[in-house]
Amino acid sequence: MSFLGDLLAQHLGWMNNPTVVARQALAGLSNGMLLFLIAAGLSLIFGVSRVINFAHGALFMLGAYLAATVVRAASPEPWAFPLALAAATVGMFVVGALVEVGLLRRIYRADHAFQLLLTFGLVLVLGDVVKLLWGREDHSVAMPDLLSGSARLVTVTFPVYRLFLIGIALAVALGLWLLLHRTRWGILIRAATLDRQMLNALGVNVNALYTGVFALGAALAGLAGALAAPIVAVGPGLHVQVIIDAFVVVVIGGMGSVSGALAGALLVGLANAFGLLAFPALAVVVTFAVMAVVLIVRPWGLFGTPE
Amino acid sequence: MSRRIGWALLAIALAALGLLLPHFWLFVAVEVVVFALYAVSFNVLLGYGGMLSFGHAAFFGVGAYALALLVTKGALAVPLALGLAPLAAALAAAGIGYLSVRLTGIYFAMLTFAFQMLLYTVALKASWLTGGDDGITGLRASGLLAGPRPWYFAAVALVALALWCLHGVVASPFGYVLRALRANPVRTQSLGVNVRAHQWATFVLTGAFAGLAGALFALSTGSVFPAWLNWTASATPIVMAVLGGIRAFAGPVVGAAVYVLLETVVTGYTEYWPLVMGTIIVALVVLLPDGLMSLRDRGARR
Repeated sequence: MSFLGDLLAQHLGWMNNPTVVARQALAGLSNGMLLFLIAAGLSLIFGVSRVINFAHGALFMLGAYLAATVVRAASPEPWAFPLALAAATVGMFVVGALVEVGLLRRIYRADHAFQLLLTFGLVLVLGDVVKLLWGREDHSVAMPDLLSGSARLVTVTFPVYRLFLIGIALAVALGLWLLLHRTRWGILIRAATLDRQMLNALGVNVNALYTGVFALGAALAGLAGALAAPIVAVGPGLHVQVIIDAFVVVVIGGMGSVSGALAGALLVGLANAFGLLAFPALAVVVTFAVMAVVLIVRPWGLFGTPE
Repeated sequence: MSRRIGWALLAIALAALGLLLPHFWLFVAVEVVVFALYAVSFNVLLGYGGMLSFGHAAFFGVGAYALALLVTKGALAVPLALGLAPLAAALAAAGIGYLSVRLTGIYFAMLTFAFQMLLYTVALKASWLTGGDDGITGLRASGLLAGPRPWYFAAVALVALALWCLHGVVASPFGYVLRALRANPVRTQSLGVNVRAHQWATFVLTGAFAGLAGALFALSTGSVFPAWLNWTASATPIVMAVLGGIRAFAGPVVGAAVYVLLETVVTGYTEYWPLVMGTIIVALVVLLPDGLMSLRDRGARR
């Protein structure tokens, strides 16, 4: 019994410290919301075109690099950071549209293996392109002065930037919900997720829809990259972990479901924050175990709909 | 008759390579045959069974780690460990396959991916057993297999035997059932075939051969690393199979040879091998979706 007690004290001792818990919760929440921005695009793209976009992490990374360049060029102006956010979002929107029209569109009818390979090939290409354009070293992005302080909530101080991240991501989530539920285009996206052939037969321009969704997803990844830039090291390996995390989120939440992506992202974000605190070695293993269990029990995910 | 001459010529060519090649290229040649086996084992799943596994590296890795652990911790003789490693991979494939073949299409791919990442993180984190990030090094074949030249002949002979077995499988009635359930699983089921059992058996079998390839590669390089189990490693056999063509048994062999030789040459000139490979992959799937073997067929048709 005392062995168990010691073990618990060793691994869960931080639970007695409300400051640590609150801080960890906020870190998990903000990481989760960032993950949501990436996973939502990945999920929408899969829902409409049934393509797993492995290059989504690379688009996130490109967004971060683009933001780093814009901030460096435009600082110390106060509008440098907002401009960087806009540049990364618009830039990745364009890249996404080009990739969809130029490459992906040609192979929708082919075997899944080809789509997987194409996006994997893009990961390799983009991973090296950033090395060629920006070098191998890590870049750091200065946090805008307005957001660099810390705020005091009750007894705990939080970095303002984390709160800003959560706010922006919530606004995007709301915007996505309005887009999907209150506009004609959003209704078409949801219809395509349910039955693409029927949508095609009804005379909807499915091609434009595919391009639009891919570009939208890429733009979200670019925005997430720019938002992450001040709190991560912007380097060539940035995309590796991101795509795996986003993929796990989308599988758990349900491919094609934005609310699933939100729930999955918060789950993974918080599980990572607390899991790493309690059982560092086990946390990563558990993530993939959860993913496998979800796929076995509910292959369409917690919020998805069975085909 | 001409077919027999072809095989004889191939055997003579392989023997001549084994006697003439300098040590570096012997190592490359072993890499080619080992990855040929890995890619063919993958393609029996994809090209014949219609199952896109995105976790085939799991079995390559389990075979490699099984061999390394049996030799270093179990103090087993290398030939014995080489015999047991594919069994370990088959065991892993039996467990993973049992759960995975219940899903189809992209969901099957994702579940195999999840299991492979599970094994990858275990290999990475259980450093008391696997050495973690540093892997296991210092493996060496001894006795008759020692030295690059004997090892080349042993590896080529083992891979030839393994490919012969795999070809026997796809040419058998079992292999034709496999093609049938790729083409139309519902129809095949209605003919009284137990679709899942066939898929499971194929999964286990190809897992075992991927494990053999992994064990051979571990002996060849003298080491095992967790990266062999990572998701990017599962893309390698897909690239090789698609590069050579998934509709021909020998397609992945051609793909593996082209891939390995290209990698060896390109990495000699530039560190941007991923950029070159990525460009080739993108061009390949968009422009030549039937693989290099389709060029030969196109020529033959003319």
